[in-house]
Amino acid sequence: MRDAVYNLLSKSIDLYVALRDKIDPQWSMRNASRIEEWRLMAYAFSRSYIGLLGGLIVFVTIVTAVIGPIIAPQPYWVYPVIENESLRYLPPCIPPICSGGPLLGTDEWGRDLLSMILYGVRISFVISVVIVLLGVPIGILLGLVAGYRGGLVDESIMRLTDMFLAFPGLILAIAFASVMPQRIRDILEASPPLRDFLSAIFGLRPQEYGQLAALISVWVAMVIVWWPGYARIVRGTVLSVREQPFVEAAKLLGLSTSKILYRHILPNIISPIIVMMTFDLATATLAAAALSFLGLGPQEPVPELGYLISKAGQFFPEKSLHVVAIVGSILLIIALGWNLLGDALRDVLDPKTRRSLEFRRRG
Amino acid sequence: MSKEFTDKHVLMVRDLNVRFYTYAGVVHAVSDVSFDVYRNEIVALVGETGSGKTMSTRAITRLIEAPGRIESGLVLFRRRNGSVVNLMKLSDEEIRRIRGDEIAYIFQDPSSALDPLYTIGHHIVETILDHKRVIKRIARETAIKVLKETAIPNPEIRVKSYPHELSGGMRQRSVISMSLVNSPILLIADEPTTNLDVTIQAQILDLLKDLVKKSNMSVILVTHNLGVVAETADRVYVMYAGNIVESAEIQELFEKPLHPYTQMLLRSVPNPLKKIEKLESIPGTVPTLINPPPGCRFHPRCPFAMEICRREKPPLIEAEKNHYVACWLYAKR
Amino acid sequence: MGFGSFIARRIITFIPTIIGVLFLTYIIAYAVPTDPVRAWVSEKLTDPKLIERIREEYKFNAPWYEQFAFFVTSIFTGSLRDPVRHTNVFDEIKTRFPVTVELALVSFIFLVAISIPLGILAALYKDSWIDFLVRILAFFGSSMPSFVLYYFMILIFFSWLRATYLAGIPMISLQCMDKLNNIATTYPVIGGVIASIGYVPLFGGAMCGEWDVVSETLKRLYVPALSLALLNGGFIARIVRNSFLDALGSEYILFAKARGLRRFNVWRHALKNTMVPVTTILGLSFGGLLSGAVIAETVFNIPGIGRYMYESIMRLNFPALIASVLLVALIYVIINLIVDILYAYIDPRIRY
Repeated sequence: MRDAVYNLLSKSIDLYVALRDKIDPQWSMRNASRIEEWRLMAYAFSRSYIGLLGGLIVFVTIVTAVIGPIIAPQPYWVYPVIENESLRYLPPCIPPICSGGPLLGTDEWGRDLLSMILYGVRISFVISVVIVLLGVPIGILLGLVAGYRGGLVDESIMRLTDMFLAFPGLILAIAFASVMPQRIRDILEASPPLRDFLSAIFGLRPQEYGQLAALISVWVAMVIVWWPGYARIVRGTVLSVREQPFVEAAKLLGLSTSKILYRHILPNIISPIIVMMTFDLATATLAAAALSFLGLGPQEPVPELGYLISKAGQFFPEKSLHVVAIVGSILLIIALGWNLLGDALRDVLDPKTRRSLEFRRRG
Repeated sequence: MSKEFTDKHVLMVRDLNVRFYTYAGVVHAVSDVSFDVYRNEIVALVGETGSGKTMSTRAITRLIEAPGRIESGLVLFRRRNGSVVNLMKLSDEEIRRIRGDEIAYIFQDPSSALDPLYTIGHHIVETILDHKRVIKRIARETAIKVLKETAIPNPEIRVKSYPHELSGGMRQRSVISMSLVNSPILLIADEPTTNLDVTIQAQILDLLKDLVKKSNMSVILVTHNLGVVAETADRVYVMYAGNIVESAEIQELFEKPLHPYTQMLLRSVPNPLKKIEKLESIPGTVPTLINPPPGCRFHPRCPFAMEICRREKPPLIEAEKNHYVACWLYAKR
Repeated sequence: MGFGSFIARRIITFIPTIIGVLFLTYIIAYAVPTDPVRAWVSEKLTDPKLIERIREEYKFNAPWYEQFAFFVTSIFTGSLRDPVRHTNVFDEIKTRFPVTVELALVSFIFLVAISIPLGILAALYKDSWIDFLVRILAFFGSSMPSFVLYYFMILIFFSWLRATYLAGIPMISLQCMDKLNNIATTYPVIGGVIASIGYVPLFGGAMCGEWDVVSETLKRLYVPALSLALLNGGFIARIVRNSFLDALGSEYILFAKARGLRRFNVWRHALKNTMVPVTTILGLSFGGLLSGAVIAETVFNIPGIGRYMYESIMRLNFPALIASVLLVALIYVIINLIVDILYAYIDPRIRY
């Protein structure tokens, strides 16, 4: 298995190199050592059990997120319980012990839990990815500017960051998530294309745009909470890198500010940022679920994973143990995947730990 | 070399072997190294990075940690009370007592050798208190005294300073103070001046020479800098790739280097008074010490390499009086 | 330069932060397009005169800066009223905040008791089963959705073992409360501090000799505290482990051994250096716990400040929200300040 992963990664590197060479001939020769490092990273990664396990889980998560809503047997907007009371909170029915019943049981509305999970994973995944993909660049940009410019710009950005950081994150998110749905609802009403587009991404029907608004407000709330952390860290790194001789040399050579930032400073901070982003994907998944659990996210009929659990809490543990256990496990596994992957990436991207694996390969 | 521990001896090392068990393989850092240190002398261990000089000195008091291991060796030491012990055979507690008290070290980088969270005074006092039973006040006074001896200005104030508050030179002097405070018999100075400015270097070396003259101490000076050796040492051991390749008294070595490595080493130091056309260097690189091949370790770079050099490792023989060399040019075969 | 000026400078920088926090809270509250007043009186009569009166009281008809000024002044004079519960916001907070404090304290004690020994053991027995266990604990702790863990802890400790209960929280008796108030009034500053500590039922009970309050509180809180400790403990243990390993492998430790220091003293050097990053992390964790673990308080039905904030948001109860958010942010900033000061105390390099 390990070799398969390594071969896959190695071939991808080869492909990338071939493409770069087409655009810019001789590129591979000039960057030979860098490419060698990439191969080493791929090798080190394939040797790490944690990385492989994490990668596997993440892969499954992504696949589920993409095809979940499409293959879900039951739709989420139908409440079977209206017709048949006894369908509420049916326990899981797994062959060969049992047969004919819903595989994972049903939820409060009698809906097939498996289907709800398939929808829910898409929602959790998209929200976590978008939070990180939006919050991080904003944070990085502000951190770069603050660190490089210094002076008043730095001070003001840092005061702003401190203000946001002084707020315990969840509270800030709660505050925003509670006041925004109205505004967003209005925006969605005014713009059907936007509404349809966003619904499609989350795997929902456009009719639920009210709940979609709640979902989006959770997302916006979290982005607002997310960027200060990155801004602080990036600024710190920029400050330490800025003083180094090679930056001064670049300045003397007449390189423009943006070029210095992009070519010299950014590569130095990119590895820890990638690692942090991976961990943050886990955190974002759990935080979004937590907000939904508190009732701030989408409600019926949207089957957000955190919300399903909060509803199940009322009948816990007599009737709804399976819901809490199963949906809880799904959240756990998704977050675990990102955490494992992040841990492995951290080891792989650190040149020192990478080296110890190099010898195993050569010798 | 003989195994007789004479009256003049302070330390005798015979057939010391240190290996490191790493991911890459087994590194033979120190191979069959033998040397002597006599009373009141400064002995230099000279070599490039990776020659095994640091590891040899650390092995003396068993300061080698995993993945390193002292495979074998005899290390005889004359203690303050006159008894002669084999340091390899002592208990951990015994060795701890000797360290810092009878055998002391100076490390290369004073900034990393000092704990940034504690004052200089604290470092010195704890070195005293863990070896001698005195009251704290006396220990503190001793600390101030020893700082004065290492020419640190305002020692009463400096004793309460933290490492980061001092300059590089003062830090190294503080390290020297800590090492000397218990009046050790043997001081092992591992590249004590490498990380310092040239001017400070001279001061520190003079300080060391001064201290040796005043007390009855011997010094092992580990360095790669031949200039430092010429200034300070009485006798020299030249190391290459984990082996001792030559040893002699200082004058003899500089006037009549026997081993090809020593010759090339001396030639590579430019003479500022002579007009130089080209900077000399030794071609090739230090070999990997993982599973070294048989034969003389220098032969790939040696201009005089012979057939036998590839096959067998030359023994260390006394080519001239008190001038030892390990080279097939001199050994009879 | 020295310690004193370091402290002074840090204190000065937090004033603008607090002002900013206040303002931010207000902005959030003000950004609501709906009329909160309707939400406040929804249960009662919808007499338009009442609605108008409330609007007047909270200055909703005035421009935003007057509203802001109103909130700020009434907070600082302690006269802000909770429109939903019809009590003074500060009275509400006075009963709830101490509960969060004791939950945070008990959780913190569990956290330290779990993470530090485990971290040190994991470092000493690197790559052994203990190290592996700590790693697993860290992964699960950071991947587990907190509310799921809480439900299962309730399942085990409440449903199965009946070893805890989930309603209300023990409070000190009225006599004890009076005694504390007396102390606060008779001895101005010190009395105030002692009384504040006493308001926390765990301490107040001990002070007044009401030991049943203490034991009942522990019985009530140990499950959520343990859960919180389990969630964060693994991660912190890993940090302790890595920090300790870093310290043990450093040059100054080798030099300490070369100086023949006793094992205990060598360890002392390593441990103090480990404490530097660990103190920061622990301090921030405590700050986080104090901010009111909203979810824990909700699931375990603990009437603390996190719960209060959550309820305020649900009911659009902005006066309550602003006051409690302000308090929480203030606490967080103060904790950060204390952590910075402690850090500077341990590490002399930072004092500049």
